[in-house]
Amino acid sequence: MTLVAKAESLGPATEFVRKGAREANLPESRIGELDLLIEEILMNIARYAYPEDAPGIVTVSYSIPLPGELALEVGDQGVEFDPLTASPPDLTLDLAQRPIGGLGILLLQTFAKSLTYRREQGWNRLRFGIVANP
Amino acid sequence: MVHPRSTVTIEQTQVGNKVVLRVAGRMDAENAAQFERQCESCIARGFTSLVIDLNDLTYVSSMGLRSFVAAAKKLRDKGGDLRICRLTGLVRQVFEITRLNQVFPPHDSVESALLEG
Repeated sequence: MTLVAKAESLGPATEFVRKGAREANLPESRIGELDLLIEEILMNIARYAYPEDAPGIVTVSYSIPLPGELALEVGDQGVEFDPLTASPPDLTLDLAQRPIGGLGILLLQTFAKSLTYRREQGWNRLRFGIVANP
Repeated sequence: MVHPRSTVTIEQTQVGNKVVLRVAGRMDAENAAQFERQCESCIARGFTSLVIDLNDLTYVSSMGLRSFVAAAKKLRDKGGDLRICRLTGLVRQVFEITRLNQVFPPHDSVESALLEG
């Protein structure tokens, strides 16, 4: 599916990947993680990929390589960004020093199985999986 | 349009000079600000010690985590604090991964969070 890269697209994108989760027979316990992954990726694109006054598009697709396994791809045409090479946040800081944000990429790197990134003809393409029994 | 996936309810109870906020549902990009506003409203009414009961919170994203950190910083600036209690499931996992469980050492009960300090 193709959506505008805005926070308002989070609902439809979530419903779409949940449909994939049902088709792949993923257990309910994996749905929260799937929701989290799609939110972190989509919100990152919505906030940083495109100029604020000119939001672009985001594509979300899925396939089921094996029963109990959901493979997802999210694409955007914004600035090049590879979340696999993003600097990790400093988790040792106390409240006074902690920045307010910056934890989304860590959650993505933690929960996504087989996370890969490629830049292809102006597109960022992020692939990852969710499996029934990790 | 608010999508049906995204609902959070926040119930507020005053206990002495502290306020307990019972947060239930999901805290995501669409509604995390609601929690922050509720904390700000408590601060505006002079309450700077908040206990946040997360027993019925089933989901929190990084946008939700931002609002905890932002609210805690505001409370700290006023000489108060934010205490978290009753983390479960995915929410507990997210706090552990981000080590926010070290910034907000979680309490097992509302009572123990109220007693401390």
